[in-house]
Amino acid sequence: MEYFAPRTVPEALVLMRKWKKKATLIAGGTNIIPSMRSGELKQKVLIDLSQIKILCYIKEEKNRIRIGGLTSISEIASSKIVKIHAPILFEAANQLGNPLVRNRATIAGNLADGSPAADTAVPLLALEATVVIQGGEEKQVPVHQFFVGPNQTVLKRDEMIKEVLVPKFNPNVRTAYSKLGLRNSMAISVVSIAVLMEMEKTFCKKARIGYGAVAPKPIRAYRVEEMLENHELTERLLIACCETIGKEISPISDIRASKEYRTEMASVLLKRVLKQVTQ
Amino acid sequence: MNEKTELRIIGKPIPRHDAWEKAFGLTCYAADFSLPGMLYGKVLRSNYPSARILSVNTSRAERLKGVKAVLTAKDVPRNESVTRFGQTHAVGGGFEGLYRVLADRKVHFMGEAVALVAAETEEIAGKALELIRVEYEPLPGVFGPIEAMKPDAPLVHEGRPNIITHYEVVKGDVETGFSEADIIVENTYRVPFVDHAYLEPESGMAWIDEDGVITIRVSTQVIEHFRGIADLLNLPHNRVRVIGTYVGGGFGGKEDITVEAFLALLTYKTGRPVKLTYTREESILSHSKRHPYVMIYKTGAKKDGRLTALQAKLVSDAGAYVYLSPWVLLYSMVNAAGPYQVPHVKVDGYTVLTNNTFTSANRGFGAPQVCFAYESQMDELARRTGLEPEKIRMMNYLEKGEALATGQILERHVALQETTEKVIEALGERTLPSGQMRIGRGIASGMTSYGRMVFLHDTSRSHVSIEMDGSVTIRAGIQDIGGGQASSLCQITAEILGVPIEDIKIYIADTALTPLAGTTTATRQLYMSGNATLMAAREVRKILVHKAAGMLGIDPESLDLVDREVIDKEETGKSLPLKEVVRACASDGLPLYHVALFKAPFRNVAQFERIEGQIFPDFTFGTHGAEVAVDEETGKIQVLKLISSFDVGRAINRLSVEGQIEGGAIYGMGYSLTEEVILNQGITMTPSFSEYLLPTSLDVPDVETILIESGDGVGPFGAKGVGEPSVCSVAPAISNAVYDAIEVRIYDLPLTPEKIVRALQSKVKAKV
Amino acid sequence: MKVSKSYPLELNVNGEWKKAEVTPRETLLYVLRERLGHTEVKEGCGKGDCGVCAVLLNGKPVNACLTLALQADGQNVVTLKGIGTPDKPHPLQESFVKKGAIQCGFCSAGMIVSAKALLDENPKPSREEIGKAISGNLCRCTGYKKIIEAIEEAALKLRRTKNDRR
Repeated sequence: MEYFAPRTVPEALVLMRKWKKKATLIAGGTNIIPSMRSGELKQKVLIDLSQIKILCYIKEEKNRIRIGGLTSISEIASSKIVKIHAPILFEAANQLGNPLVRNRATIAGNLADGSPAADTAVPLLALEATVVIQGGEEKQVPVHQFFVGPNQTVLKRDEMIKEVLVPKFNPNVRTAYSKLGLRNSMAISVVSIAVLMEMEKTFCKKARIGYGAVAPKPIRAYRVEEMLENHELTERLLIACCETIGKEISPISDIRASKEYRTEMASVLLKRVLKQVTQ
Repeated sequence: MNEKTELRIIGKPIPRHDAWEKAFGLTCYAADFSLPGMLYGKVLRSNYPSARILSVNTSRAERLKGVKAVLTAKDVPRNESVTRFGQTHAVGGGFEGLYRVLADRKVHFMGEAVALVAAETEEIAGKALELIRVEYEPLPGVFGPIEAMKPDAPLVHEGRPNIITHYEVVKGDVETGFSEADIIVENTYRVPFVDHAYLEPESGMAWIDEDGVITIRVSTQVIEHFRGIADLLNLPHNRVRVIGTYVGGGFGGKEDITVEAFLALLTYKTGRPVKLTYTREESILSHSKRHPYVMIYKTGAKKDGRLTALQAKLVSDAGAYVYLSPWVLLYSMVNAAGPYQVPHVKVDGYTVLTNNTFTSANRGFGAPQVCFAYESQMDELARRTGLEPEKIRMMNYLEKGEALATGQILERHVALQETTEKVIEALGERTLPSGQMRIGRGIASGMTSYGRMVFLHDTSRSHVSIEMDGSVTIRAGIQDIGGGQASSLCQITAEILGVPIEDIKIYIADTALTPLAGTTTATRQLYMSGNATLMAAREVRKILVHKAAGMLGIDPESLDLVDREVIDKEETGKSLPLKEVVRACASDGLPLYHVALFKAPFRNVAQFERIEGQIFPDFTFGTHGAEVAVDEETGKIQVLKLISSFDVGRAINRLSVEGQIEGGAIYGMGYSLTEEVILNQGITMTPSFSEYLLPTSLDVPDVETILIESGDGVGPFGAKGVGEPSVCSVAPAISNAVYDAIEVRIYDLPLTPEKIVRALQSKVKAKV
Repeated sequence: MKVSKSYPLELNVNGEWKKAEVTPRETLLYVLRERLGHTEVKEGCGKGDCGVCAVLLNGKPVNACLTLALQADGQNVVTLKGIGTPDKPHPLQESFVKKGAIQCGFCSAGMIVSAKALLDENPKPSREEIGKAISGNLCRCTGYKKIIEAIEEAALKLRRTKNDRR
């Protein structure tokens, strides 16, 4: 196996263009190293991005926050800026893996791995974040277009995630996050949900809902969003939403849970987060 | 010394002697040891749970540069033996079983070892495994014990039935008993495969010493396997030496031969030191598991709560090889009716081969499984009679002098009443429910034996000696698996010889150099090695006191050993430094050591078809109480309180005893809520700790320990063992608490959130 | 068999610079244990599920098995032996021993590393904060109770020592 540790983004891109399919990128290593261990990873070239310190940042701008791709999950999980402006991302980061893993895992790695249960993807969907991809050119991809299938994203072999842009929301907006796992640490989501709602008293002006572990990729619950937006939030509407969500998702059965249970929990968590943001 | 003498060090919460090295990272665990010229061993394992081996081609692997040995069944001098699992003589009862080192014509479970490799580096060894070509012909397999009992089931091993053993317990006549019952509760309970999940994977190193002795340094609970290793190599027993390391967790999983056989073979064939450490996945895949049981229970009681009859059918999954399955079943048979006075009992137990991972010892050894069943039954009876859970139990608990259903008389203190009272008191005020959280409380009592079955002629030996400068050396074969086994012997010796514990050095677990102490299993070491050490230390004390008496001109009865001195209890001020007495003994040619053999009292068991009589030396009785919060929408369970009360006889080291009980509570909690090795058609679906879920620090309640010290144990100073008892009744306490919260009973472990939700839904359906 | 390309590695382990030639696949855990003699760092699962291999990398607790050795090139690693020694024990080591927080001891190295990182950042942690800090370190023997008590006691001792110095 060959190993390269570029110090800058241009260096990394040159390597990626050169090696293409023969190379795999590694950042924190918390997903890549287990797949090396299991033999799943076949590539013979490793391009280590972890030395590109310039991509570790959390910056606040007037209308958005910018998180460098190589920012560790633990930095996100302890950032005041994230706590204030993207509280659901803050919460999700705090529940990802365990503290040791969080010190190595990066937001770019979590997104690029493209797990249907990716912890940071779920709040980023509700926050309508944008993934900034750096390849030959810079591209901005809304997070809901970033995931293609299980462990498949739009990233090409010569592209990497430079940063994630999270728009700030106005004071009328409430957010909530919930992760259901089989234990209280080191738990892969059985179902996870994030919601962002803009309310005017009991009138819903905007609804964005992200789900993890209920489909081949992290998804938005568009149908339910549509049901909620521009409507009075009545008990009846809430019940209708919880009944509809089952039609929008396509969970699988695995050793952690059956698809029936996941479907029911998608509804239970939806009810809970909606109650949380409307109180 | 009599019981009334105040004990100086016994009972104190002193730090263990091995704790400091562990805190500083100095302890050399099995995988931490290396020798120059060392090779790395790896094991090739079966790809199928049931298959014929058509051919094994090792030529490419052998040709790989750096590979020094590739071994298959034909290379093992004695690949198969009928082993008695450590017993030196046949005891009957179907306790023997086939032990096979490497798969020969067939593979019987996924993960069975097929070939061994030793190479210069781990990487080369791994590559060599890939180059071994095995041609398999998959065969039908059987993956559940009930199916395996059927007449048309595929045989796991040719030429022998799948049913290994059937035992029976009969007391009175259950038909009569049921006819007298006002209430009858019938249920089927199921418990799964679980893993010991010690954090230290199996590991060891073997080499041939300068005298040609095969030496194996290994993480093990049983150094006595040196005999089985010698036998498989066709070597005399005194040419194989096993050195046991400080074990990073055993729990019964390192009780059988794990890496020793493979290491011995590879070093024997290559002439070089060989190191072998399992990966975690390999450990989960291929080492023994706890026996799953299907338990069909029928319990009858009068409406006032008194039990009239108990009938149970127990079927355990032995996996692909016999190992300790008959033993575990025997324990279950004795425990099946629980610690209760039941006039009519019938228990039928079967242990059955399947093509699943083989099952063997796991902390509790058959007691936790049946405890889940009988304590759930008691809880349901409590509901049906309207009696409180503690009341119906207290009405039926056995007392000292009474007998179990097998006729075993409980000769020592039975602390069930007190432990239950204390648990109820400690549970205190019920937590208030909030939102979707329903609160429930449950209790469960258990009894678990300590010390091995009394017909096995169990023995332990300990050698205590005192050096010229007054420092003390203990040599004992005891294996230390983290329960303070070695440290307790130091504490006992310190007490008897009146020296600070820092003055004692213990050498453990070396078949060449330490007198054999027997297995670290069956919660027997404190009882057996503790007593042996007590005997040895007392003999040394006698010699010293007698000498000192002569030197001081005082009656030996008046002397005591305190703080490195021999002093006059009558306070005449006369005393001698201990080392002066030692030197005086030495110059007189008196022995300054004693090696004691402690023999557990033997009782014969004539037959095993019907299990009866005194089988165990004694039991540890205790009660668990749990309070849980159940989220009625997600089914998630949080244990809010877990109270453990045990009669430990005498706490030799308070910290150790609490540690065992706290650890056992969480070991049991994992069994109740999150742990299951899922096998699907013999294939392990939970290969790593990402899928096999142990409790983390955020999952645990604060465990409260309430100790009772009756002084009535058979161990030193009246101690009882607590390592296994601490697990027994946790699962039913939690399960009963869940019932209290949601009014639906779950009959199989683990209590996953999904099962709770299903149970609640079926309850709603039933009402409609 | 093709031999993988190896690269030079420099690591500062417990204050001492050490060198080795390593291949890209070799994890920090492997190099610490097998090349540099630091067997106090244990392997429990090899994929970040148990925390037994925790070390401080540039002051932050990480799983050594989830870090490639080359990723730590030129950086500071602290293991259990860098936290305290028999000559100069750390209060955490003392309290772990005195409170009975060590049974089989296999989790202790990683556990003490995580605890040290916690106390470096938060000298007065609550029980919940302690529980969270060690939520990536499994223990099969103790049930965590005495470990949490030991960390609490060490924190108290460290605060007292600091105050005494004032």
